Amino acid sequence: MRFIVAALLLAQCLPLSACKKEVTRQEVAAFVDKADNAARKRFAPEICELRGKDFRMKMKFQGHEARMEPTQMEIGRKLYCANAGSFSRLRQYKLERTAMDIDIATDRRTARVTADYIETMPYYEPGMMPATPDDFTHFQVVESRDESVVGVEDGDLVFLSTEADAHQSLILKSSVAIPYD
Amino acid sequence: MRALAGPAMLLVMVGGFAIYRGMAKEEAPSHDFLELEFAGADADRTGSCYSLSTVLIANGVFGSTTRTWKAAGDDSWTLDLETVSQSYNGPVHEFQNFTFEKSGKQVQLKSVEASAGRPTDVTRNIDMLLEAPNGRHSTPVERCAGSGAAGYHYNPRK
Repeated sequence: MRFIVAALLLAQCLPLSACKKEVTRQEVAAFVDKADNAARKRFAPEICELRGKDFRMKMKFQGHEARMEPTQMEIGRKLYCANAGSFSRLRQYKLERTAMDIDIATDRRTARVTADYIETMPYYEPGMMPATPDDFTHFQVVESRDESVVGVEDGDLVFLSTEADAHQSLILKSSVAIPYD
Repeated sequence: MRALAGPAMLLVMVGGFAIYRGMAKEEAPSHDFLELEFAGADADRTGSCYSLSTVLIANGVFGSTTRTWKAAGDDSWTLDLETVSQSYNGPVHEFQNFTFEKSGKQVQLKSVEASAGRPTDVTRNIDMLLEAPNGRHSTPVERCAGSGAAGYHYNPRK
């Protein structure tokens, strides 16, 4: 009987061990590496599970035509995840992180991560239905600065919010070699 | 007393799991609410001959848009539809929030909120929502199943 009670107590304590509260720089850096790798795989469930329940994303996006005003939007987790699903259609995608700064909050419960990224992927004209994934003439290069808040939810690190400032430019398809994956 | 410790702990764990599952579930209107006849936009609120679920399915709201139901009152629900579309100057967040309310055997569209460029007039939205089921001759509600049935903008199959 004692053994059963001990086992049950242990089972009760297991979820408590997941009640992690504080974050460290190393953990946050490893978490961002993991998130970047999930983005490179373009596998929406993996991208999505790294976002908190109330995740919000704000984005300012300057398109390749500088004469046009940038678009601004704010979306929640559900729409972010649905949109991440559309990434799986891309057969060529490159993500480079060129800079990262991690600032741990004084209470050590959250961290502010500022990271610079360069994404390269096919550019399909809006409204155009490509016949094949190769049906494009330019790659789009999106340079962005992301400011994210990382915190703990249910014992795991997650992104609580992200604010991105992105700039798009186009380059000829023949000017860069991105492997298919 | 000791003999009860184990089962009690098990009960706590099972109870906790049930509460967690209950809280994680997204809210949505009942099947009965969705099967109510969608009311037209005329003064008499003539029935459209289509249930709310038929209207929503015909309009493809279960496609690429994300949809979230929120309770807006005792017999009232708001359906939030959201999508990100690609424009020439970047991604654009588009949304439409429809509030439906039960009224007798019908469900009425009470208000519409939408992103810029989309209509928010209730009459116009009702007319637009009914274009798809009328165009496809979707399955009508039982009241309109027989010949000679009449409904707001209803166009029975010949």
